[in-house]
Amino acid sequence: MTQQPDDILALDHLGKTFRVGFWGKKVQAVRDVSLTLKRGESLGYLGPNGSGKTTSIKCILSLIQPTSGKIRLFGADPSDATARARVGYLPEAPYFYDYLKPTEVLDYVGKLYGLDSATRKKRIPYLLDRLGLAHAMDRELRGFSKGMLQRVGIAQSLLSDPDLLIYDEPLSGLDPIGRKEVRELMAELRREGKSMFFSSHVLTDIETLCDAVCILDRGEVVAQGRLSDLLRMDKLESEALVDLPTDGQDAATTRLLAVAGVELMEQTGAMLRLRLPTDAVPGLTAAVVDVHATLRELSQRRESLEELFVQRAVHVSTDGQRTVPASRSA
Amino acid sequence: MSIQTTHKKLTLRIDGPLAALGRISAVAGNTLREAGRNKLFFGLLGVTILMLVFSILLSDLALADQKIRLVTDFGLAVIPLVCIATAVLLGAVLLYKEIDRKTLYAILPKPIRRGEFLLGKFLGLSVLLFGQLVVLTVCWAGVLYLRGGSFSLALAQALGLSYVEILLVTSAALFFSALSRPVLSGVLTMGVFLIGRITYVINDLMQATKGVFAEVPAMRALGRVLVALVPDLSTFNIADELQAGVALPPDYFVHATLYGLSWVGFFVALSLLVFERRDLV
Repeated sequence: MTQQPDDILALDHLGKTFRVGFWGKKVQAVRDVSLTLKRGESLGYLGPNGSGKTTSIKCILSLIQPTSGKIRLFGADPSDATARARVGYLPEAPYFYDYLKPTEVLDYVGKLYGLDSATRKKRIPYLLDRLGLAHAMDRELRGFSKGMLQRVGIAQSLLSDPDLLIYDEPLSGLDPIGRKEVRELMAELRREGKSMFFSSHVLTDIETLCDAVCILDRGEVVAQGRLSDLLRMDKLESEALVDLPTDGQDAATTRLLAVAGVELMEQTGAMLRLRLPTDAVPGLTAAVVDVHATLRELSQRRESLEELFVQRAVHVSTDGQRTVPASRSA
Repeated sequence: MSIQTTHKKLTLRIDGPLAALGRISAVAGNTLREAGRNKLFFGLLGVTILMLVFSILLSDLALADQKIRLVTDFGLAVIPLVCIATAVLLGAVLLYKEIDRKTLYAILPKPIRRGEFLLGKFLGLSVLLFGQLVVLTVCWAGVLYLRGGSFSLALAQALGLSYVEILLVTSAALFFSALSRPVLSGVLTMGVFLIGRITYVINDLMQATKGVFAEVPAMRALGRVLVALVPDLSTFNIADELQAGVALPPDYFVHATLYGLSWVGFFVALSLLVFERRDLV
């Protein structure tokens, strides 16, 4: 993979194998992951638990060393502290020194970034105020709720005004109001031109906040690309509501379902809810006329990220068959 | 909620030795602050101060000309031991606590090198132990004064060498802490301390013509390995010479300090090697 000047993060066939247990059994957590993130872009990193998201993020931040492949962060190796200086990182369920106050945590982090005292004094109260922590500035973190800790985590990630934000599950464990606030904050940061790389289980949030996604399953990329391309890739679908005629409802139903690609989603009395590929719409409308039914509603629906995720994040069993795990097929 | 990041780019001082020093001192400061809130540390300090005060009462039991000597011996034995116990207890968990509490995951992605973080932790603990040594020494000097004695330069030199020993044990604890879990690193550090204190005995036994070290080749080999791998901590213990009034050569302190600091450098370098390569899963 050749890195373009606009790429601020590039993973090139990244792989990570751990040795676990007494006998050092090999477990491949990440295999052959390649992706790029361009300046100003927002990339959602998705995958079920244990799919290798956090391992990849730890590789990007040089917390663990990849077994194979290469990572370029702002054109440099992640072990280069200067490259990491341009990154703001929020770990999953962030833990900070619980004996410190938010101001002290940020002051410590500010010193690590080499921010001078005057800047720290100005910027720390500003960020804490903006994140709704002004009232808790002088309280030790040990008394903070998960949501408040998450805000401290976000504040410390923004302290150095980084170009790239790497957030690991930024919305997990937050109550609905907290999630809404963090989502709005992330949207705001995105509008300001920050590049974002974040993992999440909340697919609707990814759909609203990201330009592109990369879906992992068991350490492998199963889908990747711009959201608009991915969600169109498997054709647009349509949904139709049809009122059956008073007489000959069974025959009419049989005729309608005989149209290629039409599937019955639901039947309520004389009303059918049908799903069909968009290119089957003319065939369905002709059949509706034939059986003297009424087409009450016809809407085009795009595949949701959730559907794509369930469809792609399937497991490959030993006999080579791909199966949706029970927990996700419901 | 909306947030505005700065439009003017902030100046980050990342490169150069001064910036590195700033990061090391930030970590050291935080280590000091954390240890300063450690109940175990203060408990140990309080009990030792009480013991030093109690040595006045104990000295009343001694003969008239031995009262000052008892207080002196007691201080010279107890103060370094308590500081070393603190070094083992706090040093063994120095890195493990950061990994276990996941605080490290928020710190190391910042523009700080692992070596700087490690040095900061070591420096913070060393400063804390120095503070402990100073506080206990001041208390001890007070007790000596009350008993009619005085705090001499020789005693200061003895405690100075003890501090080198404390640093050495701290660096060993740091190394084992980078390698293993707290209990194991605590046991290994104590092992270094105990064997280090009796290295001269092993040396003597190996040079003797009789005895297990002289007669059993395997034991002789083991003795050689122990002597080579473990620093001779008796170098830093000059209490007996002080009490016997034996004058040590003036360059003894310089040589002993250099010997100790070389071992400190060795253990810190090993810790760096281990920690740099460690996956923080």
